[in-house]
Amino acid sequence: MTSIKTSLHFFFSRCNLRKSTGKVDLFKVVTVPAVIFVFLLFAWMLGIYFYNALPAFIREGLSIYFENVWQAAEEASNEYYGLASAIWGTVYTSLIAIIIALPISIAYSIFVVDYVPKRVKNILIIVSDMMAGLPTIIYGIWGAFVLVPFLQKYIMMPLYKHLSFIPIFSSPPITGYSYFSAGVLLGIMVTPFASAIIREAYQMIPFTYREAISSIGSTRYEATKVLLGYIKPAIFSGLILAFGRAVGETVAVSLVIGNTFNLSIGLFSPGYTISSLIANQFGNAFIYEHMLPVLYAGGLALFIIGLIVNVSGLYLLKRWEEIVRI
Amino acid sequence: MSGYRLRKGKEILFILAISILTFVGILPLFHIIVTVFMNGLPVILERGFTFLTGTLGEGGIGPAIAGTFILIFLSSLIGLPVALLVGIYAYEYPDSKIGRATKTLLQIMLEFPTILVGVFAMSVIAIPMGTYSAFAGAFALAIILMPYVAVYTQEAMRQIPFTYREASFGLGLSRMKVIFKILVPLAKRGILTGVLIGMAKVAGETAPLLFTAGGLYQSYPTSITQPVGAVPLLIYTLVQSPSKADHAMAWGASLVLLLIFLLIFIPVRLSLREVKL
Repeated sequence: MTSIKTSLHFFFSRCNLRKSTGKVDLFKVVTVPAVIFVFLLFAWMLGIYFYNALPAFIREGLSIYFENVWQAAEEASNEYYGLASAIWGTVYTSLIAIIIALPISIAYSIFVVDYVPKRVKNILIIVSDMMAGLPTIIYGIWGAFVLVPFLQKYIMMPLYKHLSFIPIFSSPPITGYSYFSAGVLLGIMVTPFASAIIREAYQMIPFTYREAISSIGSTRYEATKVLLGYIKPAIFSGLILAFGRAVGETVAVSLVIGNTFNLSIGLFSPGYTISSLIANQFGNAFIYEHMLPVLYAGGLALFIIGLIVNVSGLYLLKRWEEIVRI
Repeated sequence: MSGYRLRKGKEILFILAISILTFVGILPLFHIIVTVFMNGLPVILERGFTFLTGTLGEGGIGPAIAGTFILIFLSSLIGLPVALLVGIYAYEYPDSKIGRATKTLLQIMLEFPTILVGVFAMSVIAIPMGTYSAFAGAFALAIILMPYVAVYTQEAMRQIPFTYREASFGLGLSRMKVIFKILVPLAKRGILTGVLIGMAKVAGETAPLLFTAGGLYQSYPTSITQPVGAVPLLIYTLVQSPSKADHAMAWGASLVLLLIFLLIFIPVRLSLREVKL
């Protein structure tokens, strides 16, 4: 009891709850617990994933991340799981997404900042914000019923027919539910995030630079090329953050990716992502003895990938902004 | 001279390319809105009011709509107090170590995969309780709502001119009074915007509800410790069904969800210069 008391006392004295006058700073008394709560919540989340994934690491070791097997058996001893296909699917679809997002978000930023009158600019920004906020399930239903049939008929089929000697086009687009569909849908979904960051950066370029470039008689294309070089770090961090979004997206992806354990470079073959695997398998994981910890291990991987990607994206962006401000 | 024409030609190509790409980039939104209206409106018109109030058996999504509003309300109840306090703290100590860490944490949580929040809420609430419940769903949504509201609160407070702070402290008020009696009321418009954006966000979330809310579509929810439905969750279930009738329902529900989203988003967006979601 006394030790709790002293540690509490130590804690509150560290928090500087008392001002030099000796009076308690009520502001800190009110806000600090909320802040501590949020930090604890985050740590608690990480802890839950670690704790629940532990049995999987003990049983199969780190190989669950590198093997592509999914044996859900009634006999517990026959169960064996590997997450490689889901991890591959996550990375592959997110890469497709940012490859799509890159040209569109850059073009959008240049167009909005340089070429359109203020009124149109505002409309375009509202449209982009709306795309960023639109419930993901609406992207999902549209993707499953509209985008996938369209892509299968007009893009995947022709590519497969004529270019199937290239490895990435070599798998037949039977249903259309594939890495490619998921990547395109994710690309549409994350473009607004990348756009917002790149547009802001492009707008922040000091006006004197624009003047200087124009004064040497460049065309707008040449000027833009130089200016894009200036915001390269911001473009990079915008893409990283968009990648982070794509990695975490669940329902829209799980409706279009086909949900198959598959590890293939073929764009048109169905697959899994970590999040769609969790969404699909968690419901029946309780039946099996060893599946649940594996899904938690997948969640842990997603947690850590998300953390690394987002932290590095945010860090790069912040550093760039600091350099520009000075 | 030919060099000049080459440059001019490149210029025209460039402008053409970026306009086309921009158009391609925003085209999906219009296509989505038109498709949802075209597929959803006939369903709603055909079934009329029943669609909005009836249970799934009667051909309506009433319980799901009720569930969505219950979840928004409950998650705000849980998440808002924490969010406001954290946002205010981050505003008050922008340069201290804890303040900066708080800001970073908020940004990380903003980008955090939502499915992980859902699984977390399931592990700590749904499993111990032994049942899916509105409370578990609301808890997951509250974790998602929190960083949005906190970041907006902090930004809104930062917009207040520094002189107000100086003047208030100059009167000899305590920090508590300066912040909560003077600065927070000054920033209330911006804070309210953040609250609404957070609500718009959680209204459309599906992944965090997958293993927490459970789903209830044949009757109206009666208790927060019982399973509850939500419009996005219902759409997700219906899309995966093989039946055409279910798909029609899903389109109708999507239209309702789209309208709920627009209803919150448009007023907020018009009252504000920039919104980040």
